[in-house]
Amino acid sequence: MSVWGAIAGGFAGTVVLTTVLRAANQLNVTRIDLPFLLGTAFTSDRTRAKALGYVLHFLVGLAFALIYYAVFLAIGQSGWWLGAIFGFVHGVFSGTALVNTLLPLIHPRMGTPSTAAPAVALLEPPGFLMLNYGAQTPLVSLAAHIAYGALVGGFTALGS
Amino acid sequence: MFGALLDAERGGSFGLRPSVPFQVERCYRPGTNVLETTFHTEGGIVRVTDVMTLDGPGLTPFRELARRVEGLAGQVPLDWRIEPRFGYAEAATRVERRLGMSVATSGASALAVQCWNAHETATDSGAIAGSVDVRAGESALIALSMAHQEPLVFSSREEVEGRIAATGRAWAGWSAARAYHGPWGDAVIRSALALKLLVYAPSGAVAAAATTSLPEEVGGERNWDYRFCWVRDSAFTMGAFLGLDCAEDAGAYFWWLMHASQLTHPRLRVLYSLNGGAHTPERALRLRGYRGSRPVRIGNGAAVQLQLDTYGELFQTAWLYAAGGYRLDNDIARHIAGMADLVCRMWRRPDAGIWEVRSRPEHFTQSKMMCWVALDRARELAERGLVPDAHVQRWRQEALSIHEFVETRCFSDVKQSYIRHAGSDELDASLLLGILLGYGDPTTDRWTGTVDAVRRELQSGPFVRRYTGDDGLGGSEGAFLTCSFWLAEALARSRRLDEAMALMDGLVGLANDVGLYAEEIDPANGAFLGNFPQGLSHLALISAALAVAEATAR
Repeated sequence: MSVWGAIAGGFAGTVVLTTVLRAANQLNVTRIDLPFLLGTAFTSDRTRAKALGYVLHFLVGLAFALIYYAVFLAIGQSGWWLGAIFGFVHGVFSGTALVNTLLPLIHPRMGTPSTAAPAVALLEPPGFLMLNYGAQTPLVSLAAHIAYGALVGGFTALGS
Repeated sequence: MFGALLDAERGGSFGLRPSVPFQVERCYRPGTNVLETTFHTEGGIVRVTDVMTLDGPGLTPFRELARRVEGLAGQVPLDWRIEPRFGYAEAATRVERRLGMSVATSGASALAVQCWNAHETATDSGAIAGSVDVRAGESALIALSMAHQEPLVFSSREEVEGRIAATGRAWAGWSAARAYHGPWGDAVIRSALALKLLVYAPSGAVAAAATTSLPEEVGGERNWDYRFCWVRDSAFTMGAFLGLDCAEDAGAYFWWLMHASQLTHPRLRVLYSLNGGAHTPERALRLRGYRGSRPVRIGNGAAVQLQLDTYGELFQTAWLYAAGGYRLDNDIARHIAGMADLVCRMWRRPDAGIWEVRSRPEHFTQSKMMCWVALDRARELAERGLVPDAHVQRWRQEALSIHEFVETRCFSDVKQSYIRHAGSDELDASLLLGILLGYGDPTTDRWTGTVDAVRRELQSGPFVRRYTGDDGLGGSEGAFLTCSFWLAEALARSRRLDEAMALMDGLVGLANDVGLYAEEIDPANGAFLGNFPQGLSHLALISAALAVAEATAR
């Protein structure tokens, strides 16, 4: 196992994850836009938000790859399939807790279920399993995260 | 999303009106695209202000429609009902309550309805509805926030009100900056504002009209999708932008035109999608059509026709752009030279003509004239050193050949007029473009005779039909407003200024209550026909007004 392999896998995995979500966007399957969601936490300018969001998204992708690497080290094995299982767990966690519950709490421009009459513009929250962004969103997100995990696991194993 | 014009039951709508008998009047706030509708009822008066808001500071919705209701006198009860239908009513639409508001979703598109003092009363699977009593001095607001491929943005009332005010100021500022001081000033500025609404801002393309399939004959099959950019309109578009001092729009439009046409270089498509794509497949929707006029089409099959006139209009556009002091970069200059070579090879072929007839191709006179214009402008650009001049001698020779063809085979001694196509005895109002785009001297006998023939055979009052003869389609059509404006401009350029001004006075009076024009008009009752608002009608109005102003100044 190699940390550089994990970082390379994190980069490749984030490229694939972003591409899958963007393609699903273009195919009218979902309205999820992770770079936009991340970027608007820091700026209300749409163009800047998307540019910044892409940078943040890649940094988050690399950070998660390092977390994967730490777990691979702890259990003493890695690989494509193990990575895919991690990706599945990661995807479920994202849909139920990370993006659904935690992001609205820390995002300064996102509504929560208790929001009624906003004083300033707010972003639509993702809802449970991010279903607010379209009925197919959980499936697309899960598939993208499984692909991400498989790439991180595979690249980490290749680096050994 | 709102296609009730094409199918009142299934098309989708946003209705907002008094629930008691009323009389209504509409107007644009002067110099803006902010629409004000005033309802008069027995109990009072209310004004509804409709605004497609422009981007402002802070996080704004992807697109937003705001409707503000103000009580002016007494008390007026109003009902409102929104029936959103995505994907031309073919996509499943889900309506639900979320975060204290109604949200309609379908695939990657969504719509949130935010209302203040507008009392939403019902949300069911297909509609969001409410009612409100507005007293003098009170106001209510309904804002539709739309999202596509991203989360929705929900605004506060203050933010929406701020954008309504800012949008009005932005339009008023834009109008005030337009440099026009000639006759029919209000009509020209209204046309410019309508044209600006047809600009697809992300690319700079200008849509021919905002609608699809509003029929040229009620109940007939002449229903087309005009939400594309026609090369045919390019010279008038550039002329209007430059004539009204819209330098940014002119630059964006020219860049888009040359960029889009690169995809098919050196050939030109008749039309391109607003994103610049050359693929515009045509299909029919399952909608009932405006007053039963079917089919309702999306896409446009005319894109693949051969229309030789487009080359002349594109070269005139480039020439106007260069004459306006703008630079043609090296790539564009090479492309223009390549297209001139193509015109030399292609002008002898029959084509579908400017009117996109679906009958068999002919040697349309106007197409040949425009090929001459293309080569003449290419020669001028080359002589000024703006495009490569390696083949300029060939362009000159082929232009002479085209001229000979037109003068020997496309002129009728009987009618004393140019004719619709070689060997015919039919007339076509598009021949007037020969005057407008500089084919020959408009004061010669041949052109005077042609203008007279058009007046004699195609004009009735202010109305002008496009042509006589077959076009391969069933049914008939109304008078073509653009042709009326072309006739006015041709008269002005032929030094028949009084006739031009009289015709323009009549035409300006044909606009609807808010100063807009459709593609055609029914001479029998004055009803608009075809797509609406029609960019070419407004472009032709601007062009004719500029020509009259210029002739008057001389």
